[in-house]
Amino acid sequence: MPEPMLLPLQRTLAALVLEPEGEATAFEGLAPGHRRALDRWRERLGTYRELARLSLVEPLEDMFPVLRALLETEGAWEGAVDAFLGARCLSSPHYRDIAPTFLGWLVESRWGQDRWPFLAELAHFELLEAVVARLPDQEPPPVDGREPLRAARIVLDPTAQVIAYAHAVHRAQVDAPAPPRETTCLLAFRDAEGEARILELTEATAALLVQAQAGTLGEVVDRLGIPDFPAVETLLRDLVDRGAIAGFALPA
Amino acid sequence: MGRGGFSGVGVGLRRSHLERVAALPGHGVPFWETCPENVIGEGGRNHRLARAVLERDAVLTHGLSLSVGGFDAWDEDYLGGLRAFLLETGTPWHSEHLCFTSVDGSSLHELLPLPFTREAVAHTVARVKELQARLPVPLILENITYYAELGQGEMDEAAFITEVLEGADSGWLLDINNVYVNALNFGFDPREWLARMPLDRVVQMHIAGHRTFGDLTLDTHGAEVADPVIELMQWALARLGRPVPVLLERDNHIPDLEVLLAERGRIQEAYDAVLAVPGRARA
Repeated sequence: MPEPMLLPLQRTLAALVLEPEGEATAFEGLAPGHRRALDRWRERLGTYRELARLSLVEPLEDMFPVLRALLETEGAWEGAVDAFLGARCLSSPHYRDIAPTFLGWLVESRWGQDRWPFLAELAHFELLEAVVARLPDQEPPPVDGREPLRAARIVLDPTAQVIAYAHAVHRAQVDAPAPPRETTCLLAFRDAEGEARILELTEATAALLVQAQAGTLGEVVDRLGIPDFPAVETLLRDLVDRGAIAGFALPA
Repeated sequence: MGRGGFSGVGVGLRRSHLERVAALPGHGVPFWETCPENVIGEGGRNHRLARAVLERDAVLTHGLSLSVGGFDAWDEDYLGGLRAFLLETGTPWHSEHLCFTSVDGSSLHELLPLPFTREAVAHTVARVKELQARLPVPLILENITYYAELGQGEMDEAAFITEVLEGADSGWLLDINNVYVNALNFGFDPREWLARMPLDRVVQMHIAGHRTFGDLTLDTHGAEVADPVIELMQWALARLGRPVPVLLERDNHIPDLEVLLAERGRIQEAYDAVLAVPGRARA
């Protein structure tokens, strides 16, 4: 019975694709016949490395154009990609999960964030619209009405997210990719047509949207010192119309 | 008609065409092929459009990531979603690639070749049988393009594919372009290669474009189907003598829907031409 070699051969090809120095993969641990066969195909195995890395990097380039521009300017993009692929954290069978996995790796590894403290926030923002656009559809949550009464709580649409960044990542662009330090609040949601939308919020509005999901509008408006309730009503009605707020719930 | 009522030339359903296809019930495409990984667990506008098309039209499903020849445990979430999706679409079979795509929990998102060894045959047959027992429709396997042999083979590719198909008693998704590209890259005659194969197992065919870079031809799915590939499809259909469904794949440099439909029409004409001649269908 020959020694099982299928898994070692698969691991060899995976290392060739994923490891930063994959081109130099030595075929150690394999039977001499397999080593010789792989040596014979070394150039074409290099093609596998190129093709596989291309298909893994493409979704990153598509999803993170600003982050890529920043790191390319600093000569660090390839290093980021190498470190990400070498971390071997891509486990999902879904191609769409490559970019979110990169964000998760950035947050966990803190790669590059001593130098660029906004990196994970920038990646999160660049991913936000695409993720909200394809969140699984859910049944609308139960509400008591669409009118923002003082005694009611806000019920956000299941796709809506209130996000606060320490940097103005929404203003970063390919030709000016480093965002300034500035508290930034955004509301991301999907409209009635199913399209993703992102609105910039004041800090007070963001606080209202977060806190009035747990407490009543009246309590939260008083706590935040917002004097103009009619203006709050107008804002909330607009967000209902846009699809960010599902409605309002009254105490049981 | 082919098995499951599917015949003619279908098209891969692409995201950029969803809006137009959903609004175009008289598109003339006999069936679409969709990749479950692109639909399961999604929501939003594109998802709604895709669902509307899949509910209205005939569909075959084609997966990318089961890693049939790999060692990783099945992704139970994915398998659960896949089972439900296959039942929802009413597909008569589900196709996957005869390859591996993940190792030690890392998804490589690339169709990587298995070594042509008895160990790989036995391992893959066992895995395919497991999947066949867990999916609600038959699993059929597609021959892939490969650019290098993974280690020292104990047989050639034709024998490897045949042994897996027969060992697992599986149907074959014959990718004509992959045969043609492999023939170019490894210097063999694709007709002689096909003549050795168990063509009675062919359930469906794929056809696509390729591109040559220097001395290597890549299966890009990013160009029109070359005439010799269409001729090889006709040769295979004639040899089969039955109208298995053929799917036009286009995954890169995706043209406007009208351009793709015109190409589909060209391939459909070639398909009809060979199957309309009874003598030729038995050549």
